[in-house]
Amino acid sequence: MIASIAIVCFVVSGACATIRLLVGPGLADRVAALDVALMSLMGAIVVRAAGTGDTAYINLLVVIAIIGFTATVAASQFIENGRGRE
Amino acid sequence: MNPVAAILILAGSAVALLAGFGLVRFNSPYARFHAAGKAAPIAFLIAAGGASIELGANDAARLLLAAAALTLTLPVGIHLLFRAVHRTDPTTRPAVDELAGQPIDPETVPSSAHPPDGEEHLHDP
Repeated sequence: MIASIAIVCFVVSGACATIRLLVGPGLADRVAALDVALMSLMGAIVVRAAGTGDTAYINLLVVIAIIGFTATVAASQFIENGRGRE
Repeated sequence: MNPVAAILILAGSAVALLAGFGLVRFNSPYARFHAAGKAAPIAFLIAAGGASIELGANDAARLLLAAAALTLTLPVGIHLLFRAVHRTDPTTRPAVDELAGQPIDPETVPSSAHPPDGEEHLHDP
């Protein structure tokens, strides 16, 4: 019961991130929105593991964290060298 | 479920909600990056703390690794986003801009920004 409430909160946070992803004026806002979406995915994975006791997916979290970070750095380099400007 | 774990998980999801609302409601990109760079990792930290209380020590170690991988790397990435926006978008400026007058250090500009000598830019940005 608690886990499902928490997962709903993480899903709403992911929805807010997608709103910013769609609306976001600049490319950098969209990259930040993607990061928050990844973060809510990681939170939902953790809460699901705590709720059901099935810890098969916990190893996925490190992969998501590192991939999210690499994507942010790559996108910021892309923005910075001038090709990301509208 | 362990009551302490339940409280921590609910607190983590509440902070995640704040991160999402902050991302949507803030008007300047600099404020939004604070939501993405700080509130989101903290939400994951609190939820992972609650879950590690619930799960055994074995999974708590993996959660600790994931939390460390996240909190050590993501603020750096968001800081790079701050710098990218600060350098390329003159229209939006943070309220207190300490970097206003300082010249940009050439080493920190990505190498693809200025082509090697004699080679024409393939396609202008």
